[in-house]
Amino acid sequence: MNMKDQIVARITSFPTLPVMANRLLRVINDTESGISDTAKVIQYDPALTANVLKAANSAFLGFRSPVNSISEAAFRLGTKWIFQIAISSLIYSNLKNPIAGYELGDEKLWKHSLSVALMSESLCSLLRVRDAGTIYTGALLHDMGKIVLGEFMASHFDEIQSRVDGRGISFEKAEEEVMGIDHAEIGALIAESWRFPGIIVDCVRWHHNPDEAPNITPAIDIVHIANSISLMEGFGFGRDELQHHFSDNSAKRMNITSNIIELAVSQTVMTLEDIENVFKEMPASKGVREVTK
Amino acid sequence: MALLVVGISDYKISNNPEDVLITYSLGSCIGMTVYDPVTKAGGMIHYMLPLSKIAPDKAVAKPAMFADTGVPELLKQVIALGGSKSRLIVKVAGGSQLMDQNKIFNIGERNFLVLRKLLWKNNIMIKASDVGGVISRTLRLELGAGQVTIKSSREEVEL
Repeated sequence: MNMKDQIVARITSFPTLPVMANRLLRVINDTESGISDTAKVIQYDPALTANVLKAANSAFLGFRSPVNSISEAAFRLGTKWIFQIAISSLIYSNLKNPIAGYELGDEKLWKHSLSVALMSESLCSLLRVRDAGTIYTGALLHDMGKIVLGEFMASHFDEIQSRVDGRGISFEKAEEEVMGIDHAEIGALIAESWRFPGIIVDCVRWHHNPDEAPNITPAIDIVHIANSISLMEGFGFGRDELQHHFSDNSAKRMNITSNIIELAVSQTVMTLEDIENVFKEMPASKGVREVTK
Repeated sequence: MALLVVGISDYKISNNPEDVLITYSLGSCIGMTVYDPVTKAGGMIHYMLPLSKIAPDKAVAKPAMFADTGVPELLKQVIALGGSKSRLIVKVAGGSQLMDQNKIFNIGERNFLVLRKLLWKNNIMIKASDVGGVISRTLRLELGAGQVTIKSSREEVEL
């Protein structure tokens, strides 16, 4: 087996997500679904319900009277908000562990992922882009390929870094040259194995190279831009640091200005501080596990 | 020794020579240290963005998010703690960018530019700086000796 095959083989043992995640993505994608459908799906899972209510009652929101039910949370905070909390709490346990290969400490990947998701949400709202919930999920998962590739990084880091230094290529390009595959492609393969919507798979696959996507969508551009800003601002650096490219074409396609970027940064940093503590100590959802393949 | 961690959009001051101020993960953000070697009063800020006009409400809640609200606040506090403006030693780190980045979106460069203007207007010199590149930095100030060090993934140097 060559190295790429060895790495891809590891994907099959990657933890699956609770089936609840797919259910949530189906209702949030369905524009006909109102508050009640998203709420109904969440109510189906007691642990998920508890997590959303815990977030809704956390100090940062500061409600005077407690939020007692999912439908009340949806009414007070909006369907999009309860979706974001629910999907984040389902994904949290997959992303919270350290990845030694990338020098990402405890919860570093999680914090970076959450910052890109919140930045995407902020950009979607500033630029009036649709499918914000799906894009949020793609943003949350964009770097999960690092969990797999990190296991192979120790013995190849020096070679990767020397190619970056020598030829000025980006870190993920050097990953592909040295290991046969980069973390974005691995992440996309994982998302495909979960049977996630194509829009999410694309966000993950092209987050460093939006211009190379066969079908460039606003979702791909949003996650690329959000990730670039988040890296710049230092939300969860790994060993690859800022050795990635920012696509001017992506920015042009989305009519991004420096004002929009700075506004998104200022919104994200406030929300991130509030929200990141909410997920600690949350019990894992006990939803039925979907068997892949 | 107390290690005082300066978070993102945060600043801290001290005049206890036992204290060490530190901030992590400086990308395009700027970390700045100010220090009076006589009174040993000093401070550090880690700001994210150049100008507060983009979100004045955020600047009220978190002045250290922006250069134009955070830096004057830090200087004021250090002076109140016994620092003399004419003796202040200012050192700057951060302002990184992604590879081949277009100027328009280069927050790091703008962050440093605004700081230089602001300090120049206040007749304060930057004694040393380590700015730019595609690296992340950790900035540290020891209040006893006034020593400032910068650590990146490759090396640790005194500034």
